[in-house]
Amino acid sequence: MSVTVYIPGMLRPRCEGARHLTVEAASVRLALAEIERRFPQLYLGICEETGAVRRHVNLFVNVTNVRDLDGVETALASGDELTILPSVSGG
Amino acid sequence: MSERVYLAIGTRKGMFVAEGSKSRGKFELRGPFGPGVAVYSTLIDTRGTPRFYGSSCNAFFGMRVLRSTDLGHSFKDTKSAPTFPKDDGRALANIWSLEPGPGKKELWAGVEPASLFRSPDGGDSWEMVPGISNHEHARKWNPGAGGLCMHTIIRDGDRVHLGISTGGHYLSEDGGNTFVASNQGVGAGFAPDPYPEFGQCVHKIVRHDDAPGRLYMQNHGGWANWDGPGGPRPDIGVLRSDDHGKSWRSIAKGLPTDFGFPIVVHPDDADTVYVMPLEPMTRTCPGGSPAVWRSEDGGDSWRKLNKGLPKKQSFFTIQRDAMSVDRMKSPALYFGTTTGQVWIGRDGGEEWECLFDSLPPVHCVKVAVA
Repeated sequence: MSVTVYIPGMLRPRCEGARHLTVEAASVRLALAEIERRFPQLYLGICEETGAVRRHVNLFVNVTNVRDLDGVETALASGDELTILPSVSGG
Repeated sequence: MSERVYLAIGTRKGMFVAEGSKSRGKFELRGPFGPGVAVYSTLIDTRGTPRFYGSSCNAFFGMRVLRSTDLGHSFKDTKSAPTFPKDDGRALANIWSLEPGPGKKELWAGVEPASLFRSPDGGDSWEMVPGISNHEHARKWNPGAGGLCMHTIIRDGDRVHLGISTGGHYLSEDGGNTFVASNQGVGAGFAPDPYPEFGQCVHKIVRHDDAPGRLYMQNHGGWANWDGPGGPRPDIGVLRSDDHGKSWRSIAKGLPTDFGFPIVVHPDDADTVYVMPLEPMTRTCPGGSPAVWRSEDGGDSWRKLNKGLPKKQSFFTIQRDAMSVDRMKSPALYFGTTTGQVWIGRDGGEEWECLFDSLPPVHCVKVAVA
């Protein structure tokens, strides 16, 4: 499954400046594993070292937050877009 | 090139560097570096080519370590930040202290949740120090309001002192391989047992090379009027040890309150120590009138230093790493406030002037001459 992963600006220095990556993965978990293999510091910006997705990071498959799907077990199909976004918060 | 005085200022919205001449008349400000991201610890490592460091705590994307090799004109991320082993179960939440290690480029980091990491290469790679990070007490420590943080790392030959909030003081005598809780005389106000083996809310510890065995501690005070189990605990907030931290005694008599966060010692006189007393309940300046207090006799007596500081309507907090003293012939003190000011106290704190008055809330201020 060829999936496009969109990278937010603050994380692009951790993947050689790429705005998006192409990964072969059948689920969000496998996509994250591929990101960890290729860009371990990028992965640590998305997930804690425990493997949990960071509290203030949202992952969307196409237009739906994976929290409203099957979390990191959400299946991916060829052509899907996986978008990494910081949540709206701060001060 | 003549030596310059540098301040590494960590704030809630990034790191700033201030540079001034040895006269310390004016300082020029650079930054923010790592803009918009909180920096809780900074370090100016003057061994060899000076290196400036800052811990950048991004609430979204985790921790980074910032490093400058051009005297704080530009910063880049190191190749990695500390991370717990995957099977550990803990996740890095913050870096509260950065200190030089024994090796030429070695860097030590005290983190949240309270653990110690070592880098052999100036912050590019890290390994957890198991002797304290996996100590039998480690899973029993509890976070204070600021988090479960290792905020103090002091090396003294083979001795290593660590300050943990709330964990207490831990001592290693084998270079950091093994640690024991060393809190005899260190009170706790938030537990029925006023003098537990560990679990104290230590705020900061300092030592001086010229006084072997002596340490000063700002502990979590403000418990003189406690009327619950265990009874009142007056004067547990400011302490001194003369036996390498194996036992501690109060030196708080004479201060307006024994609560505070930072404590610093004069670079040339181990008997001269400075604290910044705060109201225990609000953690702000007593009566709205900030003052640094100085002892010149190792804590037996204290004198208020507030010339030039506001006399009223000032209710800021000075956090644990937000006060430093430089190593010039007539040292100056510096403190940063949660209201975004940085003050200089020239002539050992005799006269104060505001250097910067509109920075983001200040977490830490470190000074070095390079």
